[in-house]
Amino acid sequence: MIKLENVSYTYMSGGPFEKKALDGISLQIDPGEFVGIIGHTGSGKSTMIQLLNGLLKPDSGRVIIDGEDLSDKKTNLRNIRFKVGLCMQYPEYQLFEETVLKDICFGPLNMGLSKKEAEERARFAANMTGLPESLLEKSPFDLSGGQKRRAAIAGILAMEPKVLILDEPTAGLDPAGRDEILFKIRDMHKRMDLTVLLVSHSMEDVAKLADRIFVLNSGKIEMSGNPSEVFAKSARLREIGLNVPQITRVADRLREAGADIPPGIYTTGDAYRILLPLLNKQNKQIKNN
Amino acid sequence: MLKDITLGQYFPGNSFIHRLDPRTKILIIITYVVMVFLVQNFIGYAALALFLAVCTTVSKISPKYLIRGLKPILVFIIFTGIFNLFLTSGEVIWSMGFLKITREGVRFAAFMVLRLIFLILGTSLLTLTTSPIALTDGMERLLSPFKKIHLPAHEIAMMMTIALRFIPTLLDETDKIMKAQSARGASIDSGNIFARAKAMVPILVPLFISAFRRADELATAMECRCYRGGEGRTRLYELKYGRVDFWGWVYTAALLAVIILLNITFGSF
Ligand SMILES: Nc1ncnc2c1ncn2[C@@H]1O[C@H](COP(=O)(O)OP(=O)(O)OP(=O)(O)O)[C@@H](O)[C@H]1O
Ligand SMILES: [Mg+2]
Repeated sequence: MIKLENVSYTYMSGGPFEKKALDGISLQIDPGEFVGIIGHTGSGKSTMIQLLNGLLKPDSGRVIIDGEDLSDKKTNLRNIRFKVGLCMQYPEYQLFEETVLKDICFGPLNMGLSKKEAEERARFAANMTGLPESLLEKSPFDLSGGQKRRAAIAGILAMEPKVLILDEPTAGLDPAGRDEILFKIRDMHKRMDLTVLLVSHSMEDVAKLADRIFVLNSGKIEMSGNPSEVFAKSARLREIGLNVPQITRVADRLREAGADIPPGIYTTGDAYRILLPLLNKQNKQIKNN
Repeated sequence: MLKDITLGQYFPGNSFIHRLDPRTKILIIITYVVMVFLVQNFIGYAALALFLAVCTTVSKISPKYLIRGLKPILVFIIFTGIFNLFLTSGEVIWSMGFLKITREGVRFAAFMVLRLIFLILGTSLLTLTTSPIALTDGMERLLSPFKKIHLPAHEIAMMMTIALRFIPTLLDETDKIMKAQSARGASIDSGNIFARAKAMVPILVPLFISAFRRADELATAMECRCYRGGEGRTRLYELKYGRVDFWGWVYTAALLAVIILLNITFGSF
């Protein structure tokens, strides 16, 4: 279980460019949840998730993972990091080994696994992120941008963390690749009871995948709740530089135009279920006239 | 660890010190360094301390920040002190086994440590009150008379600008890469020296790659904008000497006079 209690964090405190990135954040995430985190650029998303595996220490407040306070000197941060796998924003810049396979093995080997075990996990993780077997013996620097991204994500997956945190994992990927990775992650979330935190600028992705959404605005939690609760407040979301999924906008417009559509439509699936009967009904009316 | 490096960190402001022409500031700093070496007694250091204190107050930079600049070379300062303390010969005032401290050693150690501290504080004040761009501009103008003897003044200044510009970027990048590898369980600051050296590989490789990539991109970007060196290049902001520069020199000259006077009156040590 992940818990933040009134956490604040300031970059370069005391200097001329002091920046309060997080301001009194409290939240709780239960095991097995799929959580989406959205917010305008610079709202503190990346800062917040770096607190969750001890890469940053809060200035005040407490970060608690499975009952262990990360600021406590007795807490073994390495073990926390194996438990909470964090894939940073633009992770492709962390690759360094001679081959992709070796690079993916870096995490598992640090955990103290045998070489054989590590490679098994690495191959599995590469498969999960859609990296073809033929690339595994190549140098990571010869891959394309998207392939590098997949290799970097695989490097985290191979540690088989209980909690997986992804910071904009799909920025810069092609649409097919984006869906492939996200659906594999949802699959893992369902099958292995993985807790997932997904930071994303795509309202569609978050709407489709997350059970619960946290909205950050200037270092504070602006709102939280399940997708239909959050995306119902479209006016406020727009005010803070965000938006609602396109399909929600369509539904809102139709409702304004007088169509009988309930609020809280945020995936194309919902829209399909609601709109199709409406259209059929209208078609019938047209025919009858 | 990386947060302590104040090199190239500039506090924007509009104080007397900030408004000095960068050329004046560079020349004053050179004079200041000469003065630090000229000082022969502790009263002279008191005068220097007063000079710096006044400059710092005028510049409105928190002394805390100035002192923070000493942190990275603290080890060096301590070593200098210890070496001079134990290795200077003279009248022994304390000894234990082969270790002995002499009266001269104490004085000399204090002297060297003060000298280092004053050098760093003075130059930090320069970089804290002068933007890197202004600094290299001033440097270029000061060096331009030497163009006649084929000193590539513009190129030197451009290289310094670029280097200074990229220090914070590379520090940021290092920080990010270190975090990314720690997230994969790399232990950077534990184990013996070999383990530590090996642990640097996952950080240095990506860092070098990204530095080369950046250099490449920058070169392309500069070429796209038709950069072709200093020949015939005009500038957006021309440097101009003003009244503040005059008063800056008066102040510095006064200090120089005081220090020479103190040296004559009180002699060395
Ligand atoms: N290393 C740093 N040093 C100083 N300030 C920083 C640093 N990293 C982030 N900040 C500042 O902290 C604030 C929050 O940044 P953060 O990276 O958490 O935003 P974000 O929500 O992840 O944005 P994005 O969507 O662009 O990734 C920003 O205002 C940013 O300028
Ligand atoms: Mg971010």
